[in-house]
Amino acid sequence: MVARLKVGISLNSRLIFQKMSLRLVFAFFIEAALVVACTPEGEEPILSENNYELAAPAHFPKLGLPEYNPQTLAGVELGRRLFYDPILSADSSLSCASCHLQEHAFTDGQAIAIGIDDKPGRRNSPSLANSAYYYKGLFWDGRAATLEEQALIPVEDPNELGNSWAMVEQALRRHPFYPTYFSEAFGIGDTAQITRELAARAIAQFERSLISADAKYDRVLRGEASFTPSEKRGRDIFFDASETLPAGECSHCHTPPLFTDHSYMNNGLDSASRLEDFSDTGRGATTGQRYDNGRFRVPSLRNLTLTAPYMHDGRFATMEEVVEHYNRGGHYAENVDPKIRNLHLSVQDKEDLIAFLRTLTDSTFVNHPGFSNPFKP
Amino acid sequence: MKQFIFASILLSTLLFTACDNKDDNKSELAEVVLNFTANYDNDPLVMFERTYNYEADMDLKMQLLQFYISDVRLLHDKDGVTEEVPVLDIGLINFGNVYNDADAAKGINTAAVSIPAGTYTGLRLGFGVSPELNATIPPDYPLGHPLSENYWEDAQSYIFFKVEGNADLEPNGEFTDKLTFHVGGNNNYRELSFQKNFTVEKNGQVTIPVVVDLKKILIASDGTYVDFRQVKQSHSNTSPAAIFMADNVPQAVSVK
Repeated sequence: MVARLKVGISLNSRLIFQKMSLRLVFAFFIEAALVVACTPEGEEPILSENNYELAAPAHFPKLGLPEYNPQTLAGVELGRRLFYDPILSADSSLSCASCHLQEHAFTDGQAIAIGIDDKPGRRNSPSLANSAYYYKGLFWDGRAATLEEQALIPVEDPNELGNSWAMVEQALRRHPFYPTYFSEAFGIGDTAQITRELAARAIAQFERSLISADAKYDRVLRGEASFTPSEKRGRDIFFDASETLPAGECSHCHTPPLFTDHSYMNNGLDSASRLEDFSDTGRGATTGQRYDNGRFRVPSLRNLTLTAPYMHDGRFATMEEVVEHYNRGGHYAENVDPKIRNLHLSVQDKEDLIAFLRTLTDSTFVNHPGFSNPFKP
Repeated sequence: MKQFIFASILLSTLLFTACDNKDDNKSELAEVVLNFTANYDNDPLVMFERTYNYEADMDLKMQLLQFYISDVRLLHDKDGVTEEVPVLDIGLINFGNVYNDADAAKGINTAAVSIPAGTYTGLRLGFGVSPELNATIPPDYPLGHPLSENYWEDAQSYIFFKVEGNADLEPNGEFTDKLTFHVGGNNNYRELSFQKNFTVEKNGQVTIPVVVDLKKILIASDGTYVDFRQVKQSHSNTSPAAIFMADNVPQAVSVK
């Protein structure tokens, strides 16, 4: 069932791997064993030597990886450490994981992310699940084209980690362990070669590894489970699949298997008599195109039960509120997507729709030991 | 935007070498580009900015026109024999980011494809996804390939074309009625053939202008039309509106 993307490593990296400390090798083997133990049936173990094989599911589009940043065991492990290490923040209080918690499918449960010194950020923390597949931009407004670009930004955002990369680079170079980890990951021989770009590449490698594809929905596709009558009815509403049920219009934008079409759209959250009236112009601030004002990235619905509150500003606390918003057809603005319209869903329709949405929760993903905090025993 | 458009038009390998022209000199090559523009009657099709007069006092503003083209071939006259030269397997043409007349006039170009230099007499293309490709699914393709998206799981078909916008049905100047028409299914695939005589020299490039008139997709030659007061959406292979629009495609697509 699982298509494999095998990523090679350079000879240089392989030699360095051979020189790895016994401690790290031991850690890799322990982690490999854990990953194997928790891998869903039908999937191969992720770890083998220093190649990192992404568990790209067969029912996902084929994944392309940047040639300049191949996945390696050492790179992913370094990225994981950096992701969870508060060394990236100005006062060593926050890490990437402060706003992207595994138990929340790498969101934080807050309406708006809270940064250093309790400063509120601008928007809701998006999930990182399957971010390897985000090929039309990252962040709610798509202002970063790649995971490598994205990983550079929060460190220097005054409302996030509030640091400077120059300071981070110094800290990493002076650190007792990171120079070794960078050497193992990228084959560098000098601490001066530890750069923000390499740190971002490592974080991107870790983020690419965060593949979520073992929800009940996936198991139904694989013939390993079946929907309840309520879930099935909700599924048919979601996919406009029945002549006798109302159309939920969901799958036009939340297209399987990733449950996003990667587009940016105005889903009618706010009334705006002019396109310049949006308090957050979203995609428009990135493109400079006024018709993109009020448009935001269509998020994946995978793990929806774990990623509340919802929308770019976290305005909806529950899935029920989200469904009710769409059921009412949203508010008027010139560029509200025409697919946002009154759905005429009954109470039962809404309950069944939510029952289906709950099948997108992947407990394997949020309990995957390879994605967890490496600094916690 | 241009980069995005180019990225969304991914050409699938088919070069002239597939023709096995043993007596052709491989250095005798030229290039062909297809340029797609969209109109609404005599006006350029732009999103949001223009109001289009429709039938029965209805007015329209558009947000999206998108369609697949597939199995594009040129008819090559070689020693008195007409042979087909494959140009591209599949392309996704999306006018959703065309917001002004200048971009509308510029249109959307496919990437240049090598063809034998010489004389050509016509163009054939499929509007939609050819049945052979429509039997595939997104996981068959790399992310970003045109066929990695726009798939209808339940209909087991790609969405061949999308027409989305807003209508003023009163008319009172308020475009509050929402129109979304998505058409797919092998029954709605249309093969089109055009006469187009041209000669392209070695190392030369020819651009073939293909024009799509949205009004002619919505209104048939006999004057019948999609009545948006009755139907505002269709996401089906078999709905009357979907079939009506697909049937209108041959009259709506032309080669200048």
